[in-house]
Amino acid sequence: MSGFTISRRTMLAGSAALLASTAMPTIGWAQTPKKGGRLVVAADSEPRNLNPAIVASNGVFFISSKVVETLAEASFDGKDGLQPRLALSWEGAADGLSVTFKLRDGVKWHDGKPFTSADVAFSALQIWKPLQNLGRTVFKDLAAVDTPDELTAVFKFAKPTPFQLIRNALPALSSVVPKHVYETGKIEENPANNAPVGTGPFKFAEYKAGQYYRLQKNTDYWGKDEPWLDEIVYQVLPDRTSAAAALEAEEIQLAAFSAVPLADLDRISKVPGLKVITKGYEGLTYQLVVEINHRRKELADLKVRQAIAHAIDKDFVVKTVFLGYAATATGPVPKNDPQFYTADVPTYAFDVAKANALLDEAGYKKGPDGKRFSLKLLPAPYFNETKQFGDYLRQALAAIGIDAELVNNDSPAHIKAVYTDHAFDLAVGPPVFRGDPAISTTILVQSGIPDGVPFSNQGGYKNEDLDALIAKASETLDTAARTELYKEFQKKVAADLPLINVAEWSFISVARDTVGKIANNPRWAVSNWADTYLAG
Amino acid sequence: MSVLRRFLRTPEAIAGAIILAALFAMALSASLFFPGDPQAIAGPALLPPFQDWGLPLGTDRLGRDVLAELFHGSRTSLAVGLAAAAAALVIGAIVGTLAGFAGGLVDEVLMRITDAFQTVPSFLLALAFVSVVGPSLGVVVVAIALGAWTGPARVARAEVLSIRERDYVAGARVIGMHPLEIAFREVLPNALPPVLALSSVIVAAAILTEAALSFLGLGDPNRVTWGGMIAEGRTVLRTAPFLSVIPGVALVLTVLGVYLAGEGVVETTAVRRSLS
Repeated sequence: MSGFTISRRTMLAGSAALLASTAMPTIGWAQTPKKGGRLVVAADSEPRNLNPAIVASNGVFFISSKVVETLAEASFDGKDGLQPRLALSWEGAADGLSVTFKLRDGVKWHDGKPFTSADVAFSALQIWKPLQNLGRTVFKDLAAVDTPDELTAVFKFAKPTPFQLIRNALPALSSVVPKHVYETGKIEENPANNAPVGTGPFKFAEYKAGQYYRLQKNTDYWGKDEPWLDEIVYQVLPDRTSAAAALEAEEIQLAAFSAVPLADLDRISKVPGLKVITKGYEGLTYQLVVEINHRRKELADLKVRQAIAHAIDKDFVVKTVFLGYAATATGPVPKNDPQFYTADVPTYAFDVAKANALLDEAGYKKGPDGKRFSLKLLPAPYFNETKQFGDYLRQALAAIGIDAELVNNDSPAHIKAVYTDHAFDLAVGPPVFRGDPAISTTILVQSGIPDGVPFSNQGGYKNEDLDALIAKASETLDTAARTELYKEFQKKVAADLPLINVAEWSFISVARDTVGKIANNPRWAVSNWADTYLAG
Repeated sequence: MSVLRRFLRTPEAIAGAIILAALFAMALSASLFFPGDPQAIAGPALLPPFQDWGLPLGTDRLGRDVLAELFHGSRTSLAVGLAAAAAALVIGAIVGTLAGFAGGLVDEVLMRITDAFQTVPSFLLALAFVSVVGPSLGVVVVAIALGAWTGPARVARAEVLSIRERDYVAGARVIGMHPLEIAFREVLPNALPPVLALSSVIVAAAILTEAALSFLGLGDPNRVTWGGMIAEGRTVLRTAPFLSVIPGVALVLTVLGVYLAGEGVVETTAVRRSLS
């Protein structure tokens, strides 16, 4: 027992050290890079298909972007906002009919076979174009991929395709998978979809349903001295409130994608040893949007849509629903986009009196019970914030005499109700802006999209002007002219309100302060983490 | 009068009666004290309780008045609890009486159906039903009744089995009454008291099930429910625990009140039976 006596002095020294540790600025503390270690990360969903070439979504990228790499990754300071990954350079022809990629030499697949241009050609033609949720639009005119040598891939397009679009699409849409694994049998049923094989810094090791995914260091990685970590474990924590507790208990070291509820951030930022990071999601902006079913005769009236826009207090939404971790939106392109955003669009200030006047003008007078008409409102269930905004919107509409009935569904039922059955009047959706309006934004207002395509215009909206503008922009090769067209697009959308953009938000990461090189690119959470380390 | 006095003799029954009376008063006076939509935004978000006497229990994440939500939520809880229990008792009594009185094949079929329902946990049944049909108040009531009618059915059958051998039932047969008439006019009313004694348990369970469904997001989103309030508060449990604790306490008190009052009723009737 004599070895365990607490003297006043050691007690004082100990508490002084403790005080000092809390007083020290958390960033820059204990950052001695060290090789090795296991990073344990919270995962809130368990995607079944882990092939990012087929399912280009953040839930899949979060895990598989460490295994399967893209041609290029987004970058804060690289040219055109890109840094090379599997491709070293990319060049578009002046006629917009071809793009040439020079590929990285000496890259090997996890099974030891060499990576060549044939893999790129196979991925592009057999997967991105026909099967990928986003690639179907961007690569729709891709006719062939020539492979003059093992390290050159030339994309040939049937119609002029803007190089700017291809460039902007690279980080999310260009996951390259091995041809030799996928060429036999049906691609959708390939076992590698559940245990991906790639060229990335980590190999897929195992998956235990309901428990964890484990990735292991790829000792043969092309990056010099990379990766730093030995292992990444994705601990499945479906309950969002448990991520914060797990971080505090040091069971996990990182919770990305706002796994820690916004309301908890203020408290958790004061916990010693934890840091709250708002960077690293600049390339993954989510937009809070009110989707409108234009088949309803009331909603087909522009005045009614304007009234709804005036009834929404965007500042309140940002302050209360998002607790300040968001920005108000002006139109279909988020404010943080460096290439396309314009503030020069019609805006709708929060003004209940004006909204009421507009509805009166439109001929929808208040009935004796104070109601003008009733609507069905379907908030998307994917985020707490979309649900809460649904609750808010119901109140905002009640203030202008529109009686909204909330209908809650789970994710599959919501997608079916809104995008296939069109059984909604208003819906709250979180579309993602992916660096170029042509990737996943114009589809929200364009007409003629078949029923059942999720996150597209399923509200029956048709505006020939806008359709023509979108078509023109999709074949305009000159970057400046194309950007101008999309500025025009933003103005028209804000004026005609096929949907109402309310706010834009990104995610927050919370990590232990031993985790280094966090948020060093605009898509950090879904990038390859080759340089991420645990300080010793 | 003497029944009431006997009922009020036990302290549990008095406590239960007081809680229930308070609950009914809350439900009935909700629109009086809090006219308008209880889900309207009334003040700044996440105001703690006892800060602003205009909003004595504070506000939730959107700035809605917690006290108003609590009052209006008591309506949903009571409405669902009573309606589901009534539905369960009616279905159970009918099925039990038919099975017990008819006997033979009808009894076998009805009781096997009852067995089938009993083997499925009632909460799972409710969960499945609401997810398929879609959440609304009526559906929630049916979903809860679906899992709760088996108890009354079994009790009713057991009672009917003993009653149908009584002389007055034989007498009714002799004077040529229709069997269904005998079952429902002569037998059922006499078999009812022990079935009704189950009602307090069913009401309490129904209130809890409704809260659990709302907690899982399967309640009617257009109504305030205590379960829904707890679920919403859960996301801010560490920073604003009162949002979950207040409706949670209300729920506990309600279930306790219903149970205590029910116990009191059972005891009163038991005393009366033993006296007679």
